[in-house]
Amino acid sequence: MLRKKDKDFWKYREARGVTNTDRFIYRVLFVAGVLSIIRFADWWFRAEHIESLPLFVLLSLITWYGIVRIFLIWLNYLKVKKPEFVLAEEGLKVAIFTTSSPGEPLSMFDKTLEACANITYPHTTYLLDDTQDPEFKKVAEKHGAVWLNLVGLPGAKAGKVNAALKMIEEDFVLIMDPDHIPFPNFLDKVLGYFKDEKVGFVQVAQTYYNQYRSFTAKGAAEQTYTFYGPTLMGLFGYGSSVAIGANCTFRKKALESIGGHGVGLAEDLITSVRLHAKGWKSVFTPIVVSRGLVPEDFGSFCKQQLKWSRGVFEVLFTEIPQHYKGLSFWQRVSYLTISTYYLVGLTSFLYFTIPFLYFWLDVLPANMNFGEFIIQGAPIVIIAISIYLFVQRWLSHPDAERGFHWRGMILKTATWPVFMLGSLLSLVNADIPYIPTAKKAVKGLSPYTRPLILHVVLFVLTLGYVIYERLTIVSEGVLVLTGDQIWGMFAFAGVSVILVIGGIFAAYESKNLPEEEPWQKVDLKKIKT
Amino acid sequence: MKKTVYRFAFTTGAVIVGILIIMIFTFLGKKSTGPIEDMFTEMGSAVTDLENSLLLSNRQPVRSKALGWFNSYRDSKKLIDNPDTVLFGIYDNHYKKSFDHILSLEKSFQFELPFIQLYSAWGDKPEEHFPIKYAKAIYSLGSTPFITWEPWLNDFNREEHDLPPKEDINKNGLKDVVNGDYDYYIYQWASDVKDFGKLVFIRLGHEMNDPYRYPWGPQNNKPQDFINFWRYVVNKFKAQGVTNVVWVWSPHPAYLLYSEYYPGDKYVDWVGVGALNYGTVALWSKWWKFSEIFGDYYDWLASFNKPIIITEFGSLAVGGERDKWYEEALTNLPEKYPALKAVIFYNNDNDNTTLSKSLVWSLNSDTLSIQAVKRAVTTW
Repeated sequence: MLRKKDKDFWKYREARGVTNTDRFIYRVLFVAGVLSIIRFADWWFRAEHIESLPLFVLLSLITWYGIVRIFLIWLNYLKVKKPEFVLAEEGLKVAIFTTSSPGEPLSMFDKTLEACANITYPHTTYLLDDTQDPEFKKVAEKHGAVWLNLVGLPGAKAGKVNAALKMIEEDFVLIMDPDHIPFPNFLDKVLGYFKDEKVGFVQVAQTYYNQYRSFTAKGAAEQTYTFYGPTLMGLFGYGSSVAIGANCTFRKKALESIGGHGVGLAEDLITSVRLHAKGWKSVFTPIVVSRGLVPEDFGSFCKQQLKWSRGVFEVLFTEIPQHYKGLSFWQRVSYLTISTYYLVGLTSFLYFTIPFLYFWLDVLPANMNFGEFIIQGAPIVIIAISIYLFVQRWLSHPDAERGFHWRGMILKTATWPVFMLGSLLSLVNADIPYIPTAKKAVKGLSPYTRPLILHVVLFVLTLGYVIYERLTIVSEGVLVLTGDQIWGMFAFAGVSVILVIGGIFAAYESKNLPEEEPWQKVDLKKIKT
Repeated sequence: MKKTVYRFAFTTGAVIVGILIIMIFTFLGKKSTGPIEDMFTEMGSAVTDLENSLLLSNRQPVRSKALGWFNSYRDSKKLIDNPDTVLFGIYDNHYKKSFDHILSLEKSFQFELPFIQLYSAWGDKPEEHFPIKYAKAIYSLGSTPFITWEPWLNDFNREEHDLPPKEDINKNGLKDVVNGDYDYYIYQWASDVKDFGKLVFIRLGHEMNDPYRYPWGPQNNKPQDFINFWRYVVNKFKAQGVTNVVWVWSPHPAYLLYSEYYPGDKYVDWVGVGALNYGTVALWSKWWKFSEIFGDYYDWLASFNKPIIITEFGSLAVGGERDKWYEEALTNLPEKYPALKAVIFYNNDNDNTTLSKSLVWSLNSDTLSIQAVKRAVTTW
């Protein structure tokens, strides 16, 4: 009989631990996966596959970039680890920071600050405010929070955090994103880990409660499920779990040892690199002790992704070289892997180009038999899917988060122009303006859909031209030989076009998203710990 | 200590099971190479057919229409085995990408070349399967495929097919075929030919009496081995109900011992022979006239009472007057050689098979020879 799925968002949850059976099954999958990659490599790198050398090298680079990343993530899962719970000592001095900026809805702070007040472990909540709006001060005081007026500081959120650090006496600081609603047991679940004097920060899973709002929200959330479960648990196992966005609790001494919170588009990643380089340890605990908002409209999602991709590359170019010496071997591997993630924009672009090169210039990058390619590649794909599904046992809320995450895949494909822009901006060291992630849906078809529409239009025009060409221009001597290849290529190009159309749909849906303040529906009394 | 042993056992166990899984994959992959590849080949064919019915039916075919007269021949085994005219054909080395070289030469000739020849070696690679894609393309252009099928044995993965290791694979190689070693391959070919369904000419193990050229020759096999081999393959096809093959037996006439390689009237439909003049391109060659490389052997070849086909017809330009060669060869050809029923031009503009340098047999840019061919054909 099927167990009824428990999808209640407002309930404390934690990922299951790692058993010996899990370890054994996973190692089996890992070995099989590595062998399948070796087998594929043995087939791929053959002189007879080269049709044009430069294009073959390029195709090999983008294909093997992808495969190496798959291998690294498999390697990461080998060390999946859940920290053993440590009871928090009494009497620790703890601060909670949350920041507000002009334009952010007051009612959201009303909710967040009330939830902060409900946190049971004794603490002080600070509202780091630069709105210059007296209403914010009133809300802070209503919920017993300390209002700090921090106007005109550079570095947005991190700038305010650093200024506030100098004003407080507490030893531990939880930095809450203002759109996150913490559960009352938040601090009880994380403070214990600081018993180890070496621990510099404790990160918890980031989970959301507004997935229901739109396709974009659902897809964006799907993209994060595995990361805030098995991926970070693996990184923790290798001693390199990172601080990501919200919900990270820091030891103030640790932040002080690196001159305060890092500043930049990927400020949390910068902070983790620096802390790790200084020898501080980090803990990731896969628990749900707060829920927040994920971008609901396609435009905000793209903005967020652009900010991250640009910021993360910056970590690659500046932070990692500077702190390389202080990092352990696995920390180096992790940071290099994380900071090159968004190259996927470039590789996707090149993949999409391949069929068009064939349609327009009659160029094929490799002389491979398609059937053989499928036969050789299938084991990698089958094992990759098996591993993907297997590690879902370590999601922090499996009942709600398990699945193929196809919406996430569509959004990932449809954001290729954003990732590419991010990587190009980093290459020439150009800035994007700091854009706070929108807390509420924004109307209108996002400009980020323009490259996607172009992609689809190009496909349709090419399709039309090829049909015309084959009806009138192509000579009979070529026509009889090229049918399978040309329509096979259209099928190949069509897969990405369908995903991109999914992205355009997400953007179209965003346009008509009714205004709503999701936090208004949240009843703090119903949170079960 | 106990913990170390435990860990060691744990890891080893995982490694072993992992290896097993991949072995299963590999095993399945290899065994299923046939079916899965077939599936893709069939998908390719289906796509081409679909395109033909949906899209290209709106386009007027030119060549197949011009070759309309050939339809009655190519669809009837009876008629094609006793043609009332001399049929032309062509091999062109660009065929994998395009038949345009063939079409443009035809335009210059102002007549069509109904046979299109391909070469295919034995082996496990995809390109060594029956070339159904090209066969279909050739048919849709109004032609009939003529395939030279060469029993090279080095391209088979022996381990994969549980064949015992052999020091010299070619030694007595034809006996191994009769022994059933390559049945799976013959079976696959036969069923693909059957699927193709239209008449196809197959020239199997050509020049089997030349001791210096191919591994299936006398240096590795006895004449009786060749005959047994031939009959074995033909019988395998028949046993599978394949009735659309025209079998072409093709010795090298310069090595006079060839009657003893003849598999018998029941097993042979046509007799083939090459007629290439290398001119003075190499030390061993000289300018041979057509009457010397073909005419001198004609009576012997005709004695088998089968229609004769020249499977490679051509002359290089080095050492003589090429256009004269063609004119002399073709003038009054049907009268001189009444059993000769087909001539296949060897139109290769990049032939590396015989010498280390590339030889140009192609006629596409030789207007003099093209004119010579045209003049000669008017005498028929």
